[in-house]
Amino acid sequence: MNHIRVGHFLAVIFIFFTHYLNAQVSLSGTVTDAASGETLIGTAIEVLEWNTGTLTNEYGFYTLSGPSVENATIVISYIGYKPYSIKLNLSKNERLDVKLNPDSEQLEEVVVTANSYKDRINSTEMSTTSVTPLEAKKIPALLGEVDIIKTLQLKPGISSGSEGNSGIFVRGGNQDQNLIVLDEAIVYNASHLFGFFSVFNSDAIKDVKVYKGGFPSQYGGRLSSVIDVKLKEGNNQKFSGTGGIGLISSRLTLEGPIQKEKSSFIVSGRRTYVDLITNGINSANKNKENYNQIPAYHFYDLNTKINFELGKKDRLFMSGYFGRDAFAFTNGNFDFNFYWGNATGTARWNHIFNDKLFSNTTFTYSDYKYNINNKLTGFSFDLKSRIQDANIKSDFYYSPNSQHLIRAGFSATHHKFTVGRLQAGSDDGTIKFGSGLYPEGAELGLYAMDDYSFDQNLKINWGIRLSSFIHKDKTYFNFEPRAGAKYSLNERVSLKASYAKMVQYIHLISNSGVTLPTDIWYPSTQNVAPEISHQVAAGYNYILGDGYLLGHEFYYKWLKNQIDFKDNARLFANDNVEEEFAFGDGYSYGTEVELEKNTGKLTGWIGYTLALVKRGNFPNIMSGRYFSPRYDRRHNLTVVAMYQLNKKWNLSATFVYGSGDLTWLPIGKFSFQDIDGTQINFITPSYGDRNTFRMPSYNRLDIGFVRTFKHKWGESDLTFSAYNVYNRRNVYFYYTDIEFKDIMQGGVTIQVPSKVALKQVSLFPIIPSITWNFKF
Amino acid sequence: MFKKLAVLFYIGSIIGFYSCNLEKSVNVELPPYESQKILECYLEPGKPFRALLTKSSPYFSELDFSDLTRILATILEDSAKVQIKYGNQTVVLTNTLSLDQINEKVYNYSSTELVPADYSSEFELEIILQDGKKITSKTKISPPVAIDSVRVEYNQEMKARALTYISDNPNTKDYYRRMLNLNSLKDSIPKQDFLADDQILQGSTRLVFGSGFQFKKNDTLYNSILRINKDYFDFLSSVKNAVSNNGNPFGQPGVIFSNLQGTTNALGIFTGFTTVRDTTYIR
Repeated sequence: MNHIRVGHFLAVIFIFFTHYLNAQVSLSGTVTDAASGETLIGTAIEVLEWNTGTLTNEYGFYTLSGPSVENATIVISYIGYKPYSIKLNLSKNERLDVKLNPDSEQLEEVVVTANSYKDRINSTEMSTTSVTPLEAKKIPALLGEVDIIKTLQLKPGISSGSEGNSGIFVRGGNQDQNLIVLDEAIVYNASHLFGFFSVFNSDAIKDVKVYKGGFPSQYGGRLSSVIDVKLKEGNNQKFSGTGGIGLISSRLTLEGPIQKEKSSFIVSGRRTYVDLITNGINSANKNKENYNQIPAYHFYDLNTKINFELGKKDRLFMSGYFGRDAFAFTNGNFDFNFYWGNATGTARWNHIFNDKLFSNTTFTYSDYKYNINNKLTGFSFDLKSRIQDANIKSDFYYSPNSQHLIRAGFSATHHKFTVGRLQAGSDDGTIKFGSGLYPEGAELGLYAMDDYSFDQNLKINWGIRLSSFIHKDKTYFNFEPRAGAKYSLNERVSLKASYAKMVQYIHLISNSGVTLPTDIWYPSTQNVAPEISHQVAAGYNYILGDGYLLGHEFYYKWLKNQIDFKDNARLFANDNVEEEFAFGDGYSYGTEVELEKNTGKLTGWIGYTLALVKRGNFPNIMSGRYFSPRYDRRHNLTVVAMYQLNKKWNLSATFVYGSGDLTWLPIGKFSFQDIDGTQINFITPSYGDRNTFRMPSYNRLDIGFVRTFKHKWGESDLTFSAYNVYNRRNVYFYYTDIEFKDIMQGGVTIQVPSKVALKQVSLFPIIPSITWNFKF
Repeated sequence: MFKKLAVLFYIGSIIGFYSCNLEKSVNVELPPYESQKILECYLEPGKPFRALLTKSSPYFSELDFSDLTRILATILEDSAKVQIKYGNQTVVLTNTLSLDQINEKVYNYSSTELVPADYSSEFELEIILQDGKKITSKTKISPPVAIDSVRVEYNQEMKARALTYISDNPNTKDYYRRMLNLNSLKDSIPKQDFLADDQILQGSTRLVFGSGFQFKKNDTLYNSILRINKDYFDFLSSVKNAVSNNGNPFGQPGVIFSNLQGTTNALGIFTGFTTVRDTTYIR
């Protein structure tokens, strides 16, 4: 009898348990823009009866699980789009692909306001920020050139190296510690014109997301940030175009369906044209004696993408980027050419296995190089450096039930470096000399992570990444644990914390505070260990009334195996460049506060960062003492406001305030006689500790306004902006101005200094600009 | 509408244009600075043992350079005891101001003894300052390098350039300084003055120093090649780096390299070399 009761009990348990498992159904699909067919990233999908929701991933795909419900209410919402609601019978797995219509009534408050902030409250994600091309276009831009990277520099925790520079320093990290990917291919130098403009054409971009901490396990290879830039896919509904004519460049983007709703293309190009003017002037004056040619400079970039829907479960994307900066100077003695740029290519395949499992497999190629060559009569000089990557990666998204969102994958990259390849010599071959290193390395990564919801309030994200780097006989292997947690106190407030260990296997050789095209990348080797960081962060998000979101975080970052350069390091054409490296560590900590509003007539944000960074323990630098790098800015405040006055006018303003950068000024002077001749350098500078002098604070106000016009063929606007409206002379750099006089001594004339003065140079006064943009 | 907007833009541009003047003098307060002793002591075979010992000053301190006497009074460090030992010899340098009429250089410590052409012995410097603190250093004299040949070439505009060939031993790590003076050694700054190390030869045995087509007929070129040691190479590189990167927003200055030790914070160079010079008359 006891056997029978146990048997009945087990049967009941089995039936109940099986029923419970079998009662879970899935809802999955994709969300796209109804007007263009573009997938929408981060769209919120809620099943009200399940009391749960999710967001579309970076490929526009979502999946949700819950108990069987006959008449479920599904709500789909995304900022800037009309919300979508549908009743659906969820008694079995269902596929629901949704097309959202853009909300053209820009003056109305969008109902989804609370929901879009709610997603951020509910997510374990922290230390992230994002910028849309639409926001970037509204914000006043230097010389009218909309720049996504410069817009990111207005966010807390992210700063530029110097005035006008596109270099990025995140939470005390160096500029090479940012992983910048364009459609999953790495971009090694994201700057044109020595850092004044970024390589990203905002007309071609769909989304930019930055991780400053709490890095998800799929990312690795850099210590301080991930800047993930996604290109648009192209309008698969109708042929359209956008473009603009500005002060220094013009751009044109064309997109359209190859097969309506099934496949599309987008081509987007941009070019400067000041060289067309200077070439014309040079041509007109070429016969003039003693005429000095004006150097020619230009940059251009081109983004292309095509995508194909190969049935309900498969989609194929192919994209590419090609950009170049070119500088040329010719006269009787010189024929000098200097060019640099990136090229990337991506082939990506999305596959939906079933309602719970989705995959993305990508092949990418990335190539950054610079080349300087100069020809004299009978002699030539050629210097180049390059990094080429070939990568394959695959990511799997699996959502077995409503509590788990599992992601796993792998990545393998082959790096090929050309470091300081110099070839110089006579044309007849009798004289030649050179240098150059050609290291290679393989970087591997394997990861798994789970976003697990204990209940409505508590969610954790845990993950592990295993990474490895192989160079010749040396293999480095690292475990990189990642963890994040979120606890919601109520619907408006959540507390978050995260930890991430990151490892970086390739390093930028640069001892300048600005982004230079001649900066070169170098692998980890027998003598150069990978750089490592550990970062902890904690903070909260709070939805204040009427559409405001307050975010506040604290972070601490430990940095190990940091690379710096000995004093007077010879980085140029040096085959023993590793001897110039110095190895030490560092730390940074700070707090970031951001108050943002992204709905209504007035939108924008206020961000404040208080931060400190130190580097030290380098045996050959300052006897191992800690010092601050140039980009150690203590305070940073940005206020960005955009006001949609009416359908025709949009006003914007940006105010930036920051502590001045640090600089290394000489503290002493001595006389250097040398070995021959009457000249003596009486003002030879002597430097003490690094970066001890802080320049005056930086601040500026930019304003802009956009006037929109409607035409039969489309829409256009005139964008006016004024950079640095109150014409502040922010310091770009200092230099010493020495005045000399001649004195006679024993019949010989000696030049001696009469006065030494410090001069401050500013880069940008008030700069007005105007751009005409169009859309059809 | 467009016209009004265009006018506004032009006005804005004018405002921008006249808002230039992006440079101005500033006063800054630098960290406190303690003066250092600065030494230049070059051992050149056939020339007297001599040295210039001076002191540094804060970078923006006032200059009284109205005549040579005042200059020397400002910078010279006197009353020190200086001696150089090599082998079993000790040479004492006396504190006397002297001017070399040939190279137009000033020394405040010198001896009548001449530096031997000794490329194997180690030379040891010891300076005891007035306050009892010491400066010490060691060096060897680098052997001279022969100039194989100098070739003059003309271009179509009848401007000339000079190519100077030397031989390099691929089995040793060598450093060179090359100076090219035009028409005078006395009061002209070299047309060329640069440093090279032989790693760029990648095993080749011939090194050539060139110039641009910048000379003309009847010019006289003084071509000086010095084989130098690493200390002097690093010292000169750091001085050039400090001077050229002072105020360069794209550069990184650095601390001056010094091969001086002791109980005081001294800066400078103690080294030895032989200058090999070729005089070429451009015909």
